[in-house]
Amino acid sequence: MLTLLRDLRRLRLDVALPRPDRGRSLAIRHVDAGSCNGCEHELTLTSSPYYDLQRYGLGVVASPRHADVLLVTGPVTTRMRDPLLTAYEAMPEPRLVAALGDCALGCGLLGSPDELVGQVDAVLPVDLRIPGCPPTPDEIAAALLELVDRARAQRTSTRRNSAC
Amino acid sequence: MTLHDSARYREAVRSALVDGDRFLGLHASDGGSVVRAALLTLGGDVRLESVRTEGGSAPTIVDLVPAAGWDEREAHDLYGVRFDGHEPMRPLVDHDLVLSHWTVPVRGDDAYQVAVGPIHAGVIESGHFRFHVVGDRILHLDARLFYKHRGLERAAEGATLAEGARYVGRACAACAVANGLAYAHACEESLGLEPSPELARARTLLLELERVWSHLNDIAAVCAGVGLAAGNTLFAALTERARRLNARLSGHRFLFGVVAVGGSALDLDARQVGAARDELEAIGREAARGWRELQFSASFQDRLPDIGVVGADDVERLGTVGPAARAAGVSLDARSTSKRLAYADFECQVPEMADGDVRARLEQRALELEQSREIALGLLDGPVRPAAAATGATEAPVGVGLVESARGATVCVVERHGDRLERVRLRTGSYANWPSVAYAATDNLLPDFPLINKSFELCYACADR
Repeated sequence: MLTLLRDLRRLRLDVALPRPDRGRSLAIRHVDAGSCNGCEHELTLTSSPYYDLQRYGLGVVASPRHADVLLVTGPVTTRMRDPLLTAYEAMPEPRLVAALGDCALGCGLLGSPDELVGQVDAVLPVDLRIPGCPPTPDEIAAALLELVDRARAQRTSTRRNSAC
Repeated sequence: MTLHDSARYREAVRSALVDGDRFLGLHASDGGSVVRAALLTLGGDVRLESVRTEGGSAPTIVDLVPAAGWDEREAHDLYGVRFDGHEPMRPLVDHDLVLSHWTVPVRGDDAYQVAVGPIHAGVIESGHFRFHVVGDRILHLDARLFYKHRGLERAAEGATLAEGARYVGRACAACAVANGLAYAHACEESLGLEPSPELARARTLLLELERVWSHLNDIAAVCAGVGLAAGNTLFAALTERARRLNARLSGHRFLFGVVAVGGSALDLDARQVGAARDELEAIGREAARGWRELQFSASFQDRLPDIGVVGADDVERLGTVGPAARAAGVSLDARSTSKRLAYADFECQVPEMADGDVRARLEQRALELEQSREIALGLLDGPVRPAAAATGATEAPVGVGLVESARGATVCVVERHGDRLERVRLRTGSYANWPSVAYAATDNLLPDFPLINKSFELCYACADR
């Protein structure tokens, strides 16, 4: 086990990711609304040593109750529409929705019309669009970091509003 | 391919099974007026036994081959076929919300249900599990999938054979090559095309590259299933390297769009082939080091034996395929009898202690990872050039393709009229194995289910389509 940990430390040194410039955080709840599993596989690797999104305070949380962002993949199937809405409604305000991958954005959808509701913004207001089939972990990471800044701005403005 | 009446159909399936044929799948076609069962002969040929439905009914074969259970339920839900003798006919693709319609009744003192999903707590595909438990012990599991059913097969009807590859490819990213190849083989058999040795070589290479990243990912997943972060991180890093290698060779991390009907455009010069060999060697060295470390992690190893057992008898009964079948000591691998791919010297491997538990399935993955890497290295013995299939074989309106994916036997049946698809059916290794996951959970503890599930690491997308 110590060898494993030493190897991982060496790998982290080799990859030499830059340190984050400032502290921030974003809690993500992922919902697969009907994807081919490609976006899930790439999203999983954003926490591998080559990307390590956790160093920016980004992490996937187990409940929508704890989430700032609902990250939705896939064209929304008729059967996933209600579970998706339930997850969204369980989130505290302020909440953001990110559509991950071409299917979620309605690009090049394939399937029977009666089995698909369609792109994510047919069901929920979408704040961030991450194109790609599937987007690479790099692209997912860059897009989510942009959302961190936006979420911070939103929180700041919420505080200002409440102070009035 | 023979179109039987009801009595002859059951007899044909029965005698095929007596002869040692294996069930490969069943589907409804022609709007539900025909039902076709696919069987694999001992010689490695696929044959179809078909029956015309009478008044919307066909005889069931689920009593002859329980593995046909899901297939008949799917044909019932999507094509309205009634299967005489299949009782009760529980909904599979239909999301009937009446619990008693789709679950098995479990009664007794203190028995209660735990509902999990369709949305799970990590980055996981959507599906619903209904556990019947007493305390922490699982008495029975009803899995309800098909939340991700996109109707891809129905949507592909009427498309050209070339366009059809896009629909099949969209079914699942993790099995893009295997599914694409099963489809291409089915089309080519129907068109009377035979792959040239060069085409077979390029495709076999792609299939083994897919298996390499997939097995690395699955070993990482088992580590995650017991919360061993160091093992998970190491194998996730190797998965990333394998996907980067895919991207360098094919332009896509999941090898999307590389498999086509009738040929291959994969073009690798000597330098690319050499670099790929080096990277595969390096991945192999790192994986071997990581695997050795896992052997010495007592808290990890303690979690694996005797959990989620699917033994050799269960494999035969449930129709389990792929690494899960081999981990139970059943030497079943479509690569052994593959006529369209370059597996001349292939030898099916099983682990030394083939107990069919989580430990054996994990070890099977490690064995196959090494084997796949060696096959790929053997194929990377020179530049890979674009290649085409050769014409000249007999044409037929129906073709079947059989490919061993990282999860097991994947079968594609293509029925065409000219260049247009009339019906395409994809039965993946994941589809075949989901009932085995539910069975494996029985009598285990609820907290061990994630681990059992990860030891199969099936795709939901592949099953739901």
